[in-house]
Amino acid sequence: MFRFTVEEAMRRGTLIFYFIIATIILLLLTLGISHPVNEPDMVTLFGNPLARLSQPGFNVIEFLLIQLHSLSIFWIILLGMIGVAGLIPSMLEKGMIDLFLSKPLTRAELLMARALGAVSGIVINLIYFFVGVWLIFGLKAGVWHWGFLSSTIYVVYAFVCFFSVVTIVGLITRSAGFSIMLSFVFTLISWGLEVRENGLYRLWDNVVYHRLLDTLYYLTPQLDAMLGNSTRVIGKLPYIPNAPDFTFMPFVYSFFSTCLLYFLSIWYFSRQDF
Amino acid sequence: MEVIQTLDLTKHYRSSAFKTNNIPALEKVSLSVEQGEIFGLLGPNGAGKTTFVKLILSIVHPTSGSATVLGYPLGQRVLKEYCGYLPENHRYPAFLTAENTLIFFGRLNGLPESTLKEKAHSLLETVGLKDWAKVKTKKFSKGMLQRLGLAQALINDPKILFLDEPTDGVDPIGRKEIRDLLLNLKTQGTTIFLNSHLLSEVEMICDRVAILNKGKVVRTGTIAELTTQKLAYVVQLSSPITNEIRERLQQTILPIEYKDTSLIVSLHDKSELNTVIDILRAGGIGIESMNQQKTSLEDYFIQIMKGENGQ
Repeated sequence: MFRFTVEEAMRRGTLIFYFIIATIILLLLTLGISHPVNEPDMVTLFGNPLARLSQPGFNVIEFLLIQLHSLSIFWIILLGMIGVAGLIPSMLEKGMIDLFLSKPLTRAELLMARALGAVSGIVINLIYFFVGVWLIFGLKAGVWHWGFLSSTIYVVYAFVCFFSVVTIVGLITRSAGFSIMLSFVFTLISWGLEVRENGLYRLWDNVVYHRLLDTLYYLTPQLDAMLGNSTRVIGKLPYIPNAPDFTFMPFVYSFFSTCLLYFLSIWYFSRQDF
Repeated sequence: MEVIQTLDLTKHYRSSAFKTNNIPALEKVSLSVEQGEIFGLLGPNGAGKTTFVKLILSIVHPTSGSATVLGYPLGQRVLKEYCGYLPENHRYPAFLTAENTLIFFGRLNGLPESTLKEKAHSLLETVGLKDWAKVKTKKFSKGMLQRLGLAQALINDPKILFLDEPTDGVDPIGRKEIRDLLLNLKTQGTTIFLNSHLLSEVEMICDRVAILNKGKVVRTGTIAELTTQKLAYVVQLSSPITNEIRERLQQTILPIEYKDTSLIVSLHDKSELNTVIDILRAGGIGIESMNQQKTSLEDYFIQIMKGENGQ
């Protein structure tokens, strides 16, 4: 089921589109980035000076990597979710689920294979782009940015956590459309909860309301915080000097909330009649 | 040996997640299916036929009652290793070819990878889709999908085969081929559980049937038991009967329907037939054949349904 779902996910038009765009960017970087022979310290982009590696201060390459990182995350959330959020509901379609459930698999195995297969469709594309960018900067510019490479792991982890929400939404709604829509709503909720102290708290000055928001924050994967931290592994943006330092805590909290959501999904799926 | 045995199996569906009123789909169904037989489950739409199979395969959960399949209680994973299932209105991933569909379902059955391709080809040949192995299933007609579904149900060489309307959308030649295939599987010892609306087909291949109505079993029996309702014989004569013989037959007080060169004699006891034969022979009328009168399964089914529904 896992293999089949990965194959199905990779055939989704939006993910193919992401793959094509990622490939074009990688090709442009491959063609564009170079070291002038007479100036090994200089990195150029299509012949124009981009950065001098020995120069202290603002690191243009790091800035560029952060932008590529953010751009990729934005597009993979948009295109990836449109592509794979419907994979859980499509498994539950009448005539399809009967076949799956008649096979010697537990419902937990079936659901987890489907969910992990779907998220793998996104992860493969992410790894392709991130590792590709890292290799190009390393091989062509001599910048082996390990922070950028390690950010891939955090992004992948964030998507696995995020997909626990997509999974339970897909199971309950049994609708691809709702599943995609609610996945996007969750990304907004995640952002809203992350900045709740300066935003949602102010809507209503009530302790119960504040604790309710806190509970929701800790019960759901902290997508926004995880993606934010994955960027901080690469470096800090010069125009956000007071940006917080990298912390593992959102990843730790999200581990528990993700386990809880996957557990609830399995429990719910196991009780359903089809 | 009984391969399927259910005891008071009951299923009530909830009308919605937030409502407590239940919709009864099956009410205390107790059935048993013997090894190697073709068992037909008949009933009008909504009678609970599909629900029964889904309960057996744990696609839906029973409200109460119990069942065993090959000695295993419902819900056991191992049970499904021995079952093949062709659901009604089944769907396959559109991007897979016929061959890959079978390989995929073979993998789900836990079959060894090395044998899958060969097995898939052999089954596609069996169901007449050999030339369509590399074609994506989205291009298949309803009949072709049924054939593929049957191949899918057979991928694990099941001991019990559950078929829900297997000939739906299949042309008459295809139906004949499927019937022959099922009969062949029966000779190999496979138990076949068949849900069908096509009573003529059920009559042709099933050993025993059960009739469901509104979730309850209203009749079970062999085809012969159900279609041989009254003790009546059709007697084919060599020549038309004379008035004299007719008068003598009427003296027997048996209800007799007279036709040109045949009689339909309703009996209370089989021995009464001898009296009729003696009268005919004494009158010099030869008897060409004599058969117990049967009603078709369809007639019987309609008769039962009318009775059940108070018409």
